Amino acid sequence: MRARPDIPALVAGLAVLALGGVLLLDSLDAIDLTFAVFAPVACAVAGAILVANGLSRER
Amino acid sequence: MTALRRDRSQGWLGGVCAGIARRYGIDAALVRLAFVIATAAGGAGIALYLLGWLVIPAGDAPGRRRLPTGRGAVEVALGTGLLLLSVLLTFRALGILFSDAIVWPLVLVASGAVLIWRGSAAVRPEPAPTGVPGASANRPVEQVPAEATAAPRRTIAGVSRTGVGIALVIAAGFAFLQATGALGAARDVGLALIATVVVLGVIFAPWVLRLLRSLTEERSERIRSQERAEVAAHLHDSVLQTLALVQRSDDPQQVAALARRQERELRAWLAGRPAPGQAARLAPALEAAAADVEDNHGVPVEVVVVGDRELDPAVEAVVAAAREAMTNAAKFGGGSTVDVYAECTPAALRVFVRDRGPGFDPAAVPADRRGVRESIVGRMERHGGRARISGAPAGGTEVELVLEGER
Repeated sequence: MRARPDIPALVAGLAVLALGGVLLLDSLDAIDLTFAVFAPVACAVAGAILVANGLSRER
Repeated sequence: MTALRRDRSQGWLGGVCAGIARRYGIDAALVRLAFVIATAAGGAGIALYLLGWLVIPAGDAPGRRRLPTGRGAVEVALGTGLLLLSVLLTFRALGILFSDAIVWPLVLVASGAVLIWRGSAAVRPEPAPTGVPGASANRPVEQVPAEATAAPRRTIAGVSRTGVGIALVIAAGFAFLQATGALGAARDVGLALIATVVVLGVIFAPWVLRLLRSLTEERSERIRSQERAEVAAHLHDSVLQTLALVQRSDDPQQVAALARRQERELRAWLAGRPAPGQAARLAPALEAAAADVEDNHGVPVEVVVVGDRELDPAVEAVVAAAREAMTNAAKFGGGSTVDVYAECTPAALRVFVRDRGPGFDPAAVPADRRGVRESIVGRMERHGGRARISGAPAGGTEVELVLEGER
């Protein structure tokens, strides 16, 4: 039987990867990471993790 | 998992938000909030809603869904809020957001409105049980301890949610006034209003307090009087009927059996437990009542029930009133068969009890006889129903009990 993926952990991992990518691009001076850019990204990461966790808890 | 369908039965417009909420098991208010906030972000919410209306097929839910609760629902709500905030901040950074003076107050108002709606749903009072304090006459009260602990928690959660919602709406008002430069004028108006309220309060406080106190006393008296009437009706239907049977019986064994049964029933009622062998649905409860009347009075009782529903305090009252009507028909119907017909539809519950006896004039019943007045008519009225008794000398008697409204 194939093991089902842990959706909240998957979403959290992908979200943290995306955040890490953004921070890496900033440290390489590829993008200029200001608060106006970082705030929506941080909100999106936290929101995605919470929604995935909450929806998996509802099941 | 079910397919995504618009839920028009629970929806406000096309049922798009209700359908999405049902599909993913989240609160519909949250989805509506997301669409409202997306509308603030350059009108995207309206476009998305219309697209959903066009693309998602309709398919109503079979019944009312329970609102999701618990930690999962809180996480989904917070997460959705953060995602929406990130969308708004992104749109703001890109310069395609409406004015800050409109968007942020709108977001606060929408969030506050959702919390207030959810709070009001949580504190909506359950139908008040009547009869013995703490339980209705025949309520299956194994649920009572759980209800007793859950209800205050639900009320506290609802009140705190409403409080946060009101605070958000007030904050939205302040934010809007501040952004539009009207806060100074609003403060002047607010001060004048407060001064007026204080002056009027000092003048009228004694009368208002007296009025409030008399309203509270009147309400308490009304509740006490309803409880007294309910206890009297129950005692009339149970203890007094058994005592009447005991007086007529010559068989010591039958008297002892009647006394034991009455004792068990009375002890269960006093303890707030369901009576031994008590049914949980209308049809078996009516049949059990008919069987009891047959046993006690030796008169055949024919029962026909169309449809069925679970017993709640109001339906229990209908069963108790029908039982009293059957008892009267068995006692005064001249030994004729008693016919009971019950029709249960989503719109109403109707029960007819007929006999072919000598009949009687309901208006001529002495004031001290409680059977018809309290156990049938009064009981139905206390539970939001009505009773009609058509009796004519030599014409038999028909008692009609009606409880309208979906339950």
